[in-house]
Amino acid sequence: MKGYFDIAGDGGSNVEAQVLAKRSRIAASLGAVRRMLAIGSGKGGVGKSTLTMQLACALRAGGARVAILDADLNGPSQARMAGLGVASLVPGEDGLLLPRTASGIGVVSMGLVVPESQALDFDSVADGDAYVWRATREFALLGDLLAGIAWGALDYLLVDLPPGAERIPQYAEFLGPATAIVLVTIPSDLSRGVVSRSIAALAKAPNRVIGYVENMKGYHCRDCGSIRPLFAESNSIDLGIPCIGTVPFDPDLAAACDRGEPLPADDGGPTWRAVGDVARRIRHTLEAS
Amino acid sequence: MKFLCVLCDQPMKLVEVAPPDRGALSVVYECPECAHRIAMLTNPLETQMVQSLGVQIGPGGEKTESKCPFSAMLPGTSGETASGGQSEMQWSGQALERLGRVPEFVRPMARAGIERFARENGFREVDEQVLDRAKSFFGM
Repeated sequence: MKGYFDIAGDGGSNVEAQVLAKRSRIAASLGAVRRMLAIGSGKGGVGKSTLTMQLACALRAGGARVAILDADLNGPSQARMAGLGVASLVPGEDGLLLPRTASGIGVVSMGLVVPESQALDFDSVADGDAYVWRATREFALLGDLLAGIAWGALDYLLVDLPPGAERIPQYAEFLGPATAIVLVTIPSDLSRGVVSRSIAALAKAPNRVIGYVENMKGYHCRDCGSIRPLFAESNSIDLGIPCIGTVPFDPDLAAACDRGEPLPADDGGPTWRAVGDVARRIRHTLEAS
Repeated sequence: MKFLCVLCDQPMKLVEVAPPDRGALSVVYECPECAHRIAMLTNPLETQMVQSLGVQIGPGGEKTESKCPFSAMLPGTSGETASGGQSEMQWSGQALERLGRVPEFVRPMARAGIERFARENGFREVDEQVLDRAKSFFGM
């Protein structure tokens, strides 16, 4: 009697071919994207999304063509930070035209589609048990975004990952081995411990982990101009990957993000300088590889 | 998942998929040699798990109509497709083709936004010229 592998094709819906066809559409859509960089952590609340937008601003200020894909489908924040909450969605010849900030950074986020007052809630023929299929549906949706956007020619596509140490290798696999990864932590052992788990989870992935950024390394006091400590620092956990840089917390910048005003080009402050340094190192590392 | 006719030792062919009944599917297979037919009956959770891959179930995938995957939470999107018409404004074939290339869950909002733009600019039909005008207007 024949076994599974003795029979070519599948049961008739050709599910495998449909999945492969979608991957081909994604590859075609991203064909003119030179570099993909995923920004993750594993830990929530360490400033991944803010840093992603800041890096995009710094890279853009250096003349690069940059876009952001907000892969946090359930807690999207890039649309608000980019000031694109009411962006117009225009069909182009090769998919949805990329919504852009005033400075030209492309931003794709579920925040463009789903109002902040609503949680992302998929239609389902099943009554309950969404935990069984939800993650699969989310990756399918992410694939729809990658395949259906006219990304065009980009130097860098930054992917803002959601929290969850165990999910980082899943996103790495989904985005492909050529996607480099930067991890974000804050100066606390609690955060470094979770990031350490993420690094361990990525050990089997072929993706290059460029290093980590220590975010909120003190805060920039506008009154005295100095960087003051935010956390009782302890570096007892060695992450074992390069530190790309440290970025201080800037209360004014946080307020600007809330208002949808990304980092102004070269405001001369320590946060901008720190982000600029990180962007230069990332760019140097990516271009050297 | 594949089905084998044990008597003939032949893979069975998918013949038809009956319309979903409360989330359950009836998928009919036939042996190409002895013509024996069986039906695979899925429960709603099994149906949902396959649909979560973003694929269509059925021969050629033409049995399931594509629609917004979260139409229940976005008012006015239920059942609306790139080629379907709940709006009053006409779309040219080329403009509809463009709309069909954007992610399905974006189509209702993209359609509504473009039709608003068209009305505000005195157009009675959405064609490629309107889409190109919108592209320029929004600085894309």
